[in-house]
Amino acid sequence: MSPRYFTAIAFAASLFATAPARAHAFLDHASPAVGSTLPTAPANIALWFTEHIEPAFSIATVTDAAGQRVDRGDAHVAADNPAELEVGLKPLPPGTYTVHWHVVSVDTHTTEGTFNFDVGK
Amino acid sequence: MKRTVWCAAALAAVIWLGASPSASAHAVCGNRVFPATLTMDDPGVGDELSLPTIQYLPIPATGGNSAGHSVDYGFEWDKTITRDLGFAVNDDYFTQHGGAQNLHGWDNLTVTLKDELPCWDTHEFLASVGVIRNFARTGSSQLINAGAIGNVSYTAPTLYLGKGLGDLPIGYLRPFAVTSELSRQFSDSPAISPDVWAYAASLQYSVPYLQQHVKALNLPSFMGRLVPIVEVSLSNPDRGTNTGTIAPGLLYEADTWQLGAEALIPATHATQQSQGTGFIVQFHLFLDDLLPNSLGKPLFDTDLWQ
Repeated sequence: MSPRYFTAIAFAASLFATAPARAHAFLDHASPAVGSTLPTAPANIALWFTEHIEPAFSIATVTDAAGQRVDRGDAHVAADNPAELEVGLKPLPPGTYTVHWHVVSVDTHTTEGTFNFDVGK
Repeated sequence: MKRTVWCAAALAAVIWLGASPSASAHAVCGNRVFPATLTMDDPGVGDELSLPTIQYLPIPATGGNSAGHSVDYGFEWDKTITRDLGFAVNDDYFTQHGGAQNLHGWDNLTVTLKDELPCWDTHEFLASVGVIRNFARTGSSQLINAGAIGNVSYTAPTLYLGKGLGDLPIGYLRPFAVTSELSRQFSDSPAISPDVWAYAASLQYSVPYLQQHVKALNLPSFMGRLVPIVEVSLSNPDRGTNTGTIAPGLLYEADTWQLGAEALIPATHATQQSQGTGFIVQFHLFLDDLLPNSLGKPLFDTDLWQ
């Protein structure tokens, strides 16, 4: 192997071998499901992401149609799954609710999003 | 060999110098992720690598010349300097079989400096401004002599825009987004090679956006990562004929890479005379995800607009 090729291979290997791929954390699925209608109010929201997220910088809130917070302010990463974010809910009357999430993946990428679900409609 | 090992170690060390404060994002604005487009640039700045971009075009028989085809093998490397300022280097190896003559060689080198303006996240609006510099005579002399590539350099101030339609009241329309690119190519010698207005736009429908922000349809995983897209590119020189293509196709968005394929349909009469309907395919790597601590992070962890 020529020195030039050896250098190139060593260079590429040093990059890829020591840095495992960690992508942006996007929403994989949620409970209640995005855009779903539920006959009764759920007790909490669970969000599953495509990557592990940082507990200290990841949050979810839920608001009603008037923009008032209806979550319990206890958003936290699930103990048994570093890619799952949970937040408890107050008792919800029928209506449309919006989930807002803002997370930081373990490689520091920030992503955010919103979606709605309906109760008793 | 010992010297070679030292060189390799030094190169690796250069990449790893400094801490890794934060990785840069690709073109994300609020709920919207603008994918990499194939025949035009996206409205963001990022650490990305398109390798390869392969373009096939049939060449119709004209004026005593036989029919033929051209195949272009391109690459583009996008690197962030700060989180919102980056540069890109792109080039391609051009081959032509049949037509007026057989040709092959490197195209002229193009370098872009691009600055991403602050995103308006609630309206998914993203804009960037840039300057493209094409360096004539950096490509193959055979291609220059045949007129296949330019022999005059140009500089092109360029505006890039992206708007997601997530603020629409109708749910199933919210995954739509439009992007556009407008540039004025100022030739170094307008008497030889005229100045050019270049326009491009895309209309895209993001199934990932539909699933994540509008309605989870429990689609198969493969379908949940697709973005149907149409790109239109037009070139309007101050002298000469207008050329352009319409490119309908499909993008597949994986976590750390993207695969895209589009048809290339001539959009003007002049384009139709010089090429038939071809195609373009591209494999695109998100270096900010693949190499967040080395090539995938900005050289300086700051924003110009903070």
